[in-house]
Amino acid sequence: MSSDTALRADALGKRFGRRGGWALRDCAFRLPAGRVCALVGPNGAGKSTLLALAAGLTAPTEGALTVLGTTPAEARPRVGYLAQDKPLYPQLTVAETLRMGAALNPERWDPAVAEGVVAGGDLDPAARVRTLSGGQRTRVALALALGKRPELLLLDEPMADLDPLARHDLMGTLMGQVARYGTTIVLSSHVVAELEDSCDHLLLVGGGRVRLAGEIDELLAAHLRISGAAADADLGPHTVVESRVTGRQLSALIRPAGPLTDGWRATAPSLEELVLAHLRSPNAPSLTEERAA
Amino acid sequence: MSALTLTTPSPERPRQTRWLLRLHRPALCAWVALAVVLAALLLALAGPLVDAAAEGWRQYGACGMSPRCSYDQAAIMRYKDYYNYATIALNLLPFVVAAWAGAALTGRELESGTARLAWTQSTSPAGWLTVRLAVPALGLLVCTGLLSRLHHLAWAAGEDRIDSAKEWYDRFTFHANGPTLAALTLAGLAAGALAGLLVRRALPALVIGVLVTGAVRGLAELALPHLWPAVTRTGSVDRFVPGDGLGVDQGMVTRGGAHVPAPSCDSPAGCDAAYKDFVGRYDVFHPASHFWPLQLTTSALFLAVTALLVTACFLTLRHHTGALRSPRTARTAKTA
Amino acid sequence: MVEYRIDRHSGVATYVQIVQQTKQALRLGLLRPGDKLPTAREVVEATAINPNTVLKAYRELEREGLVEARRGLGTFVRRSLGAAPADSPLRAELEEWARRARAGGLERDDVAALFTAVLDKHFQGDPS
Repeated sequence: MSSDTALRADALGKRFGRRGGWALRDCAFRLPAGRVCALVGPNGAGKSTLLALAAGLTAPTEGALTVLGTTPAEARPRVGYLAQDKPLYPQLTVAETLRMGAALNPERWDPAVAEGVVAGGDLDPAARVRTLSGGQRTRVALALALGKRPELLLLDEPMADLDPLARHDLMGTLMGQVARYGTTIVLSSHVVAELEDSCDHLLLVGGGRVRLAGEIDELLAAHLRISGAAADADLGPHTVVESRVTGRQLSALIRPAGPLTDGWRATAPSLEELVLAHLRSPNAPSLTEERAA
Repeated sequence: MSALTLTTPSPERPRQTRWLLRLHRPALCAWVALAVVLAALLLALAGPLVDAAAEGWRQYGACGMSPRCSYDQAAIMRYKDYYNYATIALNLLPFVVAAWAGAALTGRELESGTARLAWTQSTSPAGWLTVRLAVPALGLLVCTGLLSRLHHLAWAAGEDRIDSAKEWYDRFTFHANGPTLAALTLAGLAAGALAGLLVRRALPALVIGVLVTGAVRGLAELALPHLWPAVTRTGSVDRFVPGDGLGVDQGMVTRGGAHVPAPSCDSPAGCDAAYKDFVGRYDVFHPASHFWPLQLTTSALFLAVTALLVTACFLTLRHHTGALRSPRTARTAKTA
Repeated sequence: MVEYRIDRHSGVATYVQIVQQTKQALRLGLLRPGDKLPTAREVVEATAINPNTVLKAYRELEREGLVEARRGLGTFVRRSLGAAPADSPLRAELEEWARRARAGGLERDDVAALFTAVLDKHFQGDPS
């Protein structure tokens, strides 16, 4: 497996319990190293499951997930993970939590990075974790994940507890890591707008399947938002992701298969429009690099 | 570079033990305090308390049939009470450990998600569990080993001097007197840890850990008399002295030499009639010399159960995290 | 040094905003030849945008010959843009013109429309 691939899924599936439903099924995608990947989808779509599989916290029911060219278990020292509920030991102080990070990651720990993340939050190092607010806990948990100097950083809803200023601040810290070390980041969110400027790769999951996977620029370039008269609507060879008729006007999001006929007004969709159109139309065909290639 | 690699042959290992002790510092302090109190109590029992009680019994013996006689009854009662407290406390230790292991060691970490935090550091889930089992096991082994030694000392000091002293085969005394205490404590540790891994919640794991430990102890109570060949003593029907020790079985010997249970009878005449067809009585029991064989075989039983529980712990963890599974086996599993 | 401000709702691609703001700084003389542009890390820590976006903008500026990347040192301005630094005679003339327009009773929007019309006439087809 080439080392320029951070994450690769082949027919990946995960089912909880022998008779439970599939949280993920038939997932195939490739995430190149050095990308900032938005893992997007509605609640319960399988985002957390995918991240837990990549972090080696649960085993796939079928298929395989390759992390940094090896198994999730082998890759463990090189992967950072931030769970959605930001678990920390409540009885430790902030400073002790970081010292524990240093003790448990002796080969990789960078105290300057971890302390830098904590210092940005105006936190008292002697404060017990149990006394911290949600946003402060997120900061400490993120410091623990970043202090490990991971090659791949998996963040499950990292911004949920943060105010806008702290979000911007932490996203800046993350982007700084990418610029400095070439860290690959996968961060899940159900708010698309806040990811648009920071991410260059998209993984859209819905209903336990990968709906869209690839570079955001390429995905946006592969789609058009069009509108025109409903009467002479013939979208012929194009793939229609979503279409809606309002009065005499038809508007649609399509994957053009060739030049458009006259009479259509076409604009480039935004990332949010692209994501919402796919989520509103569960039966629209998926577009992933694996299938496109 | 090569000089560096020569001087540092093995990569630095995560220092997990220190952080395990830090995370469970309150429990560690409570345990040490409890052990110190129990050790002090047992030393007092073996020294001043048993001496005072023995003096009381001596005075009582000297009284004979005299209706007005004074003896130190308080010292006798004090020894008896404190001895019972200490013995029961020691018997409860495995259950305390099971409760702690289920609730705090594994259950709470899985419930609050801190286990996931630990598993995503540079240590594998298997390493995480190994440290969580091995470090407490070592500490508990030393601690309960010492306490049972002290208990044996306190018990032996009262033997033949205190008329009301417990026999060696009294079940609570037996399990406080030797290595079965340490072995059952280890089983409790493993049972609690397994309960926490299975139910992933602190409170239910606490209850299940205690119940499983109770079941192990109960099974051992049933199995104990059969874990070492017992001594059989026979005698005539009317002149028979039963064996002194842990009774296993007793009854009547038929003319054919078979051992059968004694028929029930409720009056001397009725009994004579019922017993007239038998040639003798028998008694199967463990004499005091069987203390160590029974201690060692029962301990071995506890340790075997512990080994099963520990194996189950690692299998459960592997089932959850798939830590030992390579992608290749996962793929073949799918095609199969 | 230049500080970029990213407007998410402008509809202009983020890397284009960086290119435009760099050019604006070159035009106003805020950046001069030999000056160092902020590193990608400095930009993304302040703006929380993807580092590749910054690099893409810098590559675009390099392609236009405005800056050059020196390995291990950073990205430096090669030449300035336009001939209208803040204190040029052209600016003085424009100020004089704007003063007269106002004195002549023109509203702000009228002036802007007039200026844009003239701009469009003379710079038709030029990239912005």
